Amino acid sequence: MAALVEIQRLDFAFARQLVLKQVTLTIERGSILGLIGPNGGGKTTLLRLMLARYRPTRGQILIDGLTPQQAVSRGNVLGYLPQNHAIPENFPISVRQVVRLGLAGKTGLLRPCLREDLDFVEWLLEHVGLADLADQPVGVVSGGQRQRMLIARALAARPKLLLLDEPTTGIDRSGQQRFMQFLVDLRRQLDLTVVLVSHDLQTVSALCDRIACLNVTLHYHDVPHRLPEDLAHRMFSCDLEAMGIKPTGP
Amino acid sequence: MFESALANTLLASVALGTACALLSVVVVLRRWAFIGEGIAHAGFGGVGTAWILALLVPAFEKGGQTPLYLTSVAFCLAMAAGIAALSRRERVHADTAIGVFLVASMAWGFVAYGIYGKVRGAMPPGWEAYIIGQMGPMNAAHAMVAVTVCLAVIATLAALARHIVAYCFDPMLAETSGVPGAFIHFLLILLVAMTIVVGIRLTGPLLVTALLILPGATGLLLSRRLARVAAIAVAVGVVGAVSGPLLSHRWRFIPEGPAIVLTLVLQFALAYTASAAARFAQRRLVAAGQEE
Repeated sequence: MAALVEIQRLDFAFARQLVLKQVTLTIERGSILGLIGPNGGGKTTLLRLMLARYRPTRGQILIDGLTPQQAVSRGNVLGYLPQNHAIPENFPISVRQVVRLGLAGKTGLLRPCLREDLDFVEWLLEHVGLADLADQPVGVVSGGQRQRMLIARALAARPKLLLLDEPTTGIDRSGQQRFMQFLVDLRRQLDLTVVLVSHDLQTVSALCDRIACLNVTLHYHDVPHRLPEDLAHRMFSCDLEAMGIKPTGP
Repeated sequence: MFESALANTLLASVALGTACALLSVVVVLRRWAFIGEGIAHAGFGGVGTAWILALLVPAFEKGGQTPLYLTSVAFCLAMAAGIAALSRRERVHADTAIGVFLVASMAWGFVAYGIYGKVRGAMPPGWEAYIIGQMGPMNAAHAMVAVTVCLAVIATLAALARHIVAYCFDPMLAETSGVPGAFIHFLLILLVAMTIVVGIRLTGPLLVTALLILPGATGLLLSRRLARVAAIAVAVGVVGAVSGPLLSHRWRFIPEGPAIVLTLVLQFALAYTASAAARFAQRRLVAAGQEE
């Protein structure tokens, strides 16, 4: 598989504190990468660097051959679901309108949305199970519905790369399982590449093709079942089998 | 002649009421009421500067209200640019920065007022009218400037509606999906500043933000549909903006600016009561349904 994202010798520092050091990582097209690591390990920072919210101190990121700034300004390369995102509940727009807002960057200033893009929004609403709520104000949707609405918004412009930051936080276990199945279906149907930041090793191991373990530097990048047990212990103080990962010998 | 001045004022009021009402939806949704206050109060600092200029350059005073107004316009626009830049950064919290600008402008205006009074032995001419928005009858040129500025504001809002709504809904999400957030942010604050500059002539700098808050707040009480909220806001804004000149024309002792604000507040109070009554009735209906 060809790489969609290439991160080369990336350093990033807040003030003088190094948050990411010499991170080199490639993400293949069509894959799901689980980005794991302890709190403060730099997972969300790496996502924000990919979203051009921050500029690298050193090194580079290329997404489909573009810098993060170029990728973001195209409006149809990246989709993003932030962690625990509070939406303004009294905002006077409907669920459908929120999803359509995802087209704003792709369409550009002073141009109307294309019919096919609007049709795709309808398909997304149907697919995420919000077609019946499409005309309801955003304030009426539940936590799980809100996540699906924001995912549909992130996918409205048909991005190549979907970045999810702790997407199942605050959702109960059965809701998490439905969400993960929904993500697998989406990946297959839309040929998406997904980066999933999560603390939940079980979820990540069940869902992801590869795991990147990040704690300032990249400690591991391979398939989930090869994750060294001592690394998991050091980072998460957990037993891999208890987390649903069957470790194989060296 | 007076009737023609009233017609000019009413024309400007309708334009201003519409533009401010549309912007007020943005101001309320983005919680920018304090930014509006900051820009509007800068006008008082601008007038203070005009008084000091009048002392230094006596010819400045011979232009009547126009130099006073133009100096406050320049101050407001400069202040808007400063606030727009500061509110994009996190080093100083936006509210703090606006608060500093606001009190500094007001303080400078009062100091300049004191200096002018001390040197000339009289209050600056027209300052009361400036503060409460009764700067004399509008001529056709004033009205045309107001209408042009307001049409530009309305056209910009209509043309960029999708990007503006995306930015107001969530600036960070909008920017990560390709909306030029910095451009929209500066543009919106510039539009707010332009309407304030036009509105100062009608309501005065202390009250102009009423036109940028109350119509949107009233619309949001009555609907959760953006198009409907905007339509209600425009109706409320236009009724408020024309009521001031009409009431002031009928009863000369009533100043235009306060009359506009009180009409807007009255509409807001009615909407609040109606919305509370509707919620109460709905709860009663639900309770009755459960009992059955």
